[in-house]
Amino acid sequence: MDEVSRLRTMFSRILALFRRRALDRDLDEELRSHLEMAAEENRKRGMSHEEARRRAMRDFGGVTQVRETVRMREGVPFVENLRRDVAYALRQMGRAPGFAAVVIITLALGIGANTTVFSIVDAVMLRPLPYAQPQRLVEAQSSGMGSFSAEDVSYPDFFDWRRQNRSFERLVSYHDASFTLTGVERAVHLNGQVVSWDLLPLLGVSPELGRGFRPEEEKRGSRVVLISHALWVSQFGSDASVVGRTIHLSGDAYTIAGVMPASFRFPVVEPKTSFWTTLAMDDDANDHHPAVGNRGMHFLNVIGRLKPGVTVARADADMKAMAAALAKQYPDSNTGHDSAEVQSELTALLGDTRMLLMVVLGAVALVLLIACGNVANLLLARAREREREMAMRSALGANRGRIVRQLLVESVTLGIAGGVAGCALAFLVTPAVLRLIGESVPRAADAGVNLPVLAFALLVSLVSGVLFGLVPAVTAAKADLLSTLKEGGRGDIGGHHRLGSLVIVGQVALGIVLTAGAGLLMTSFVKLTHKDEGFNPNQVLMFNFETPDSRYMKTRPAFYREYFERLRALPGVQSAAGSMLPPMTDNAAELSFENPEHPVPEGQQSNATVDAISPEYFHTMQIPLLMGRDFNDGDDLKSTQVMIVNQAFAEKYFHGENPLGKKLKPGAGNGTPGGPPWREIVGVVGNIRASATQREMQPMQYLPASQLALWCCMRTVMRTTVDPMSLEPQVRNLVSSMDRDIPVTDVSTMRDLMGLELAQPRFAMILLGAFAGLALVLTVVGLYGVMAYSVARRTREIGVRLALGAQRGTVLKMVLRDAAVLVGVGMAIGIAATLASASVLQSMLYGTASRNPLVLGGVCGVVAFAGLVAAYVPAMRAAGIDPMRALRAE
Amino acid sequence: MGEDKSDVLQGTLDLMVLKTLETMGPQHGYGIARRIEQISEQALRLNQGTIYPALLRLRQRGWIRADWGTSENGRRARYYSLTKTGKAQIEKETESWERVAATMARFLTVQ
Repeated sequence: MDEVSRLRTMFSRILALFRRRALDRDLDEELRSHLEMAAEENRKRGMSHEEARRRAMRDFGGVTQVRETVRMREGVPFVENLRRDVAYALRQMGRAPGFAAVVIITLALGIGANTTVFSIVDAVMLRPLPYAQPQRLVEAQSSGMGSFSAEDVSYPDFFDWRRQNRSFERLVSYHDASFTLTGVERAVHLNGQVVSWDLLPLLGVSPELGRGFRPEEEKRGSRVVLISHALWVSQFGSDASVVGRTIHLSGDAYTIAGVMPASFRFPVVEPKTSFWTTLAMDDDANDHHPAVGNRGMHFLNVIGRLKPGVTVARADADMKAMAAALAKQYPDSNTGHDSAEVQSELTALLGDTRMLLMVVLGAVALVLLIACGNVANLLLARAREREREMAMRSALGANRGRIVRQLLVESVTLGIAGGVAGCALAFLVTPAVLRLIGESVPRAADAGVNLPVLAFALLVSLVSGVLFGLVPAVTAAKADLLSTLKEGGRGDIGGHHRLGSLVIVGQVALGIVLTAGAGLLMTSFVKLTHKDEGFNPNQVLMFNFETPDSRYMKTRPAFYREYFERLRALPGVQSAAGSMLPPMTDNAAELSFENPEHPVPEGQQSNATVDAISPEYFHTMQIPLLMGRDFNDGDDLKSTQVMIVNQAFAEKYFHGENPLGKKLKPGAGNGTPGGPPWREIVGVVGNIRASATQREMQPMQYLPASQLALWCCMRTVMRTTVDPMSLEPQVRNLVSSMDRDIPVTDVSTMRDLMGLELAQPRFAMILLGAFAGLALVLTVVGLYGVMAYSVARRTREIGVRLALGAQRGTVLKMVLRDAAVLVGVGMAIGIAATLASASVLQSMLYGTASRNPLVLGGVCGVVAFAGLVAAYVPAMRAAGIDPMRALRAE
Repeated sequence: MGEDKSDVLQGTLDLMVLKTLETMGPQHGYGIARRIEQISEQALRLNQGTIYPALLRLRQRGWIRADWGTSENGRRARYYSLTKTGKAQIEKETESWERVAATMARFLTVQ
């Protein structure tokens, strides 16, 4: 046969796949007409009607065989077989719709949950960052002993890194900044980023209008911005002529260099960034010690693009060596920053979230395993009912491979049906889950059921179809043909039951692991929400506005004094105060301090969290004043420089001594020459939790904002007697009446802020709780199924026992004991697995150990009880068997 | 795409079908089967049904075509006829068959 014929044959076969129905009709008609013609001729030769037909059939040979052979060769044999098997599988499903429904619902729950979680994992972890060659982007951090802000980098260190490194094509610093845009209709507050000039070349992104920054725009005095597409639309009416225009940000004039595309996001976790400017703004001519020259000011993030061929590990080693050398060269400022760390940008971005997502993904995979266990058990039970059918097929010449294939096609068909239902479920559920996650997981908002997610669902369906189908299929293929047929399909295949029991044991074990995990997260969450914050978070409103240096450098203390006076006079306001870094705002800073009683070399001084506050802050927050006094309006630049510490600070640094009257030198200048002043401790206050998920109370130092004229700006904390949010309009009016160019931002209640901080633990708890509940229900249903099936199988045996005088109570106990053994073994394995895997959850727990006997005990109790309930109904049925009927039925 | 194992027999049947269509013109399956039976004078006892896989094979290669028509006694039947490539193919197939037959004949007389 030549090539052309071969190609034509292939083409014709593929075409046939789509014309099955028409081809079948034609073939049937052709064969019928053949037989009729043959019969007619036979009749003409004098045969009887019946004889003529019989003869025609005989001459033809096997009509069915010919039809099947032609059908098979018309199309692609593999596809034709599959088509036949699937059709058969669908018929089987139709024959037992209840069974099919239970299987499909079980799978839909398992696959739906997996698809939902995977859609989030896909958006958060798998999608590449929206930059050119994102796999070469890394985050470089400083590290070292001591404080939590050790990871931030100072400008001089960054400049040295940029100059000396051998691993990066480019290295870019960035930090956030907020400004007020004035000169537009209504002053607006904007969030922006201060970056090195080559951010855009590093990311491989270009502006949609105008140009990027130039190297010389890092120099002192340069003021240029790139604005976001959203800002361009909202404030500049999408006017293409904005490029080159001058705008006013917090009183300074900036030139717009370009507009970024709508899709541009940097940093990825801060989608609301409105502008980017160069680090020239940290080089203020008015400041005699600007940030760009201050090696002790650690506040930068650093992103880098690796040179081609350089690995993250090599860059990490390179940076570590450089950081160590800098620490030797500048011991005063860099002793606490003597190392560095390089991580892939995506890893750095995700942080602990990666672990959280992996735990959720693992949990949901366990749910699917349990669901597959249930379906496998259902199929095993059904395989027993179908033993006769299988034996018959086998007797009629189907080989074992054929039967296994048929059964696998059936289970995969079920799997795919479950997968389709699961995708529909995921489609419905994903929005709700995304609402639950809120902004607590970066990039989660981009999640959706898309092509990769559907591919994942299909893969999961296929794998689970094979997984739960393989066991019954292999068992069926092993079935002993003769004995099955002889016993009329009632013979017992012991393997079935043992397999079913194994599956149950596994399910119980997995159920324990999941429920214990969920139990721990719930315990932890209850602890988080019920613990003492150290202040009263109810009825507190917080908001922010800034007082730009350009106009308030000198008058800031006076402005705040007047502002708070007027604010406290508003009806509904009980008290009000200011704080630069109030709790629950994800803002914190540390300050080193000098202690004359324990002198240490510079660079190794202790650090403690710091806040600059107005008088009445403790009163407003209801933080108890334990010793001494609060700040008051008398604490100004001319009076004695003072500070207040919290209890944890007093205990750590003045253990057993009276801290009042002691003098420390926190490293904060107040604008007077000669560096930071000595400050006298005038009060000790109670500890507070700076974030809702903070594990321990930190030592803290409070400085009076009125003695830090250079520091800007305080958030307002206001305790109200009415609904806090109802005061928002009055607050806005008050501030704009004092300065119409100051917009009020970030208005929210303390409770809402705490809710935001708890979003991640809450969502972890709810998801894991839901999965554990699902797992428990599936396990109970599975156990019930296996026990009910076992009782049905043993009807005759139990009948004999009862006929021979066994008590019904004994039968009841026997069945319950069987169930108890299964649950008990599963539980033991589950407990062992839980204890072994406990450390996985460690980083997600607060206020509870990851091996919590109370939780584990409670979980076992719940599972045992659920198991008992599941076994009780079949046990009652067993005890209720009528011996006469049971024996007669055989 | 599995082919039959006995390629020689298959080729023989294919050539018989093609030759039949060449001499008799368009013909339905039954007619072709009867003709082959008559020509081979019952020497070749084939089940009539076996020609249907052969007809399919030839059709898939594009050597014959099938059209529905009406038989002499008014019955709907599928008529097969040679295509242009089919006609050309007869020559090739005949040649190759004769070569095989000649080789076989030589083998059997060599003794």
